[in-house]
Amino acid sequence: MGKIKVKRKSTLIDMTAMSDVTVLLLTFFMLTSTFLQKEPTQVITPPSVSTTKVEISNVAKVLVGTNEAKDKVRVFLNITGEADPNIPEDNPGAYSSENMRANALRMAAAEYESLTGHNPGITDKDVQVFSKIGTFGVPMMKMHEFLSMSQTEQDKFVGDMENDMAGIPLANYIPDKNGTYKGKDEKISEFQIWMRVLQNSGNPALTEAMRLDGSGIAVKADRSTPFNKVNEVLESLRTIKLNKFTVETALIDENAK
Amino acid sequence: MAQIEQSDGGKKKKGAQKKMQIHVDFTPMVDMNMLLITFFMLCTTMIKSQTLSIALPAPVDPNQQKTEQAAGDEVNERDAVTIIIDTERDENNNIKHDDKGNALEVVYYYEGFAPAKGEDGKLTPEGAAKIKAYSFEGNTQENGKTVYHGIREILHNRNKVVAEAVNDLKKERLENKIDDETFNAKAKEIREANKSTSPKVTIKATDGAAWQSVISALDEMQINQISQYRIGTFTEDDQLVIDTYKANNPK
Repeated sequence: MGKIKVKRKSTLIDMTAMSDVTVLLLTFFMLTSTFLQKEPTQVITPPSVSTTKVEISNVAKVLVGTNEAKDKVRVFLNITGEADPNIPEDNPGAYSSENMRANALRMAAAEYESLTGHNPGITDKDVQVFSKIGTFGVPMMKMHEFLSMSQTEQDKFVGDMENDMAGIPLANYIPDKNGTYKGKDEKISEFQIWMRVLQNSGNPALTEAMRLDGSGIAVKADRSTPFNKVNEVLESLRTIKLNKFTVETALIDENAK
Repeated sequence: MAQIEQSDGGKKKKGAQKKMQIHVDFTPMVDMNMLLITFFMLCTTMIKSQTLSIALPAPVDPNQQKTEQAAGDEVNERDAVTIIIDTERDENNNIKHDDKGNALEVVYYYEGFAPAKGEDGKLTPEGAAKIKAYSFEGNTQENGKTVYHGIREILHNRNKVVAEAVNDLKKERLENKIDDETFNAKAKEIREANKSTSPKVTIKATDGAAWQSVISALDEMQINQISQYRIGTFTEDDQLVIDTYKANNPK
């Protein structure tokens, strides 16, 4: 009687090909993607038929958030400098995002002090920490305290939309003890100080983008935000002669709606 | 594939090592790669968001106030169009949506100057009759023709000459008959040629109007090739327009 031979098959699957594919995919994703920016509040931009892409370098992004009741605006700012490390030719990297931010903080603090007489007390270490932060939004007098916090605490501080200390103040700021504004007689808000500082940052590409066609300013607001709240920001920009700017939108087809 | 064969030259020698198969298991490598891919897929953005340019009127210089205002009043009554945007909100300040999930947006529309007010502070019946209400409905394709709805139909008809000429140009561009530069130059030419007759639109938004409704209104300007428009300030008179319309047209 012949025995029935059961052929033993190996269950080993060759994974080399699979590995090749995954490595290729991984390379693709690593090369094509940019990381999601960490933002204090999640906003969904309104749909529009406009196809102009947002600038990737030399742009001041203004993020407009609101509290739950949608009656208070929280404004955050993201400063992006020159992406090309070879610009300017005589001093490569001088307008990088980090340098732009450090520079902006020093200038804004000095401007704030000359206008109000209050010293925000920004140290060199603060400037260094600040240059690494993408999107920020705290009153100038809170800046030192904010920059001394750990990263988790910082995220919690600006991420809490019910916190009145989150966001760059849009209202004309408080005069000093004597009730007067030192130095100049004009009333400008902290947000306007920041925008003005960026405009005079010495980076010609950013100054031009903010002045001429407005591509250097991108306002990002949620689609459900009431217009009068967004308008507070737009009016602040308009009164310092930055009346041209762009707003961030999500692309839709014109026949879709 | 993953094994390395050691050849023994075909002959069996004395004391030769046994033929060995080295097999490398790639499964953990694949596992790790998959994890990395998942990480990159979830943490990255592939699309850049779009932007829409807005130009607000420059801030008024106190020394030039008079001339600026005079320039603003030049708009001919025949060409003036005002649209007021409102979005319905519930008690929690959230936008109301209809059954299809579209936001409930109302576009109040009147032609010419603001409706006349009577001595009692209310709008005159003629004034009230001027006000119409529409919504953003876009357009549909029926039998190969584009049919416009809602406010788009009204604005399209107001600016028909320009809108249709530019739409023809757009088709040519889609068929690659002309390049983008020629398209822009020609579109500009058409707009300039019809500048005196095309509508001058003032867009106003109530305090509660959603940001997306305002953007939709700006979009309508682009879609209908209206080059002369501005964002105006919402005033009490505009509130009166809305109130009058609502009182005359209860749901």
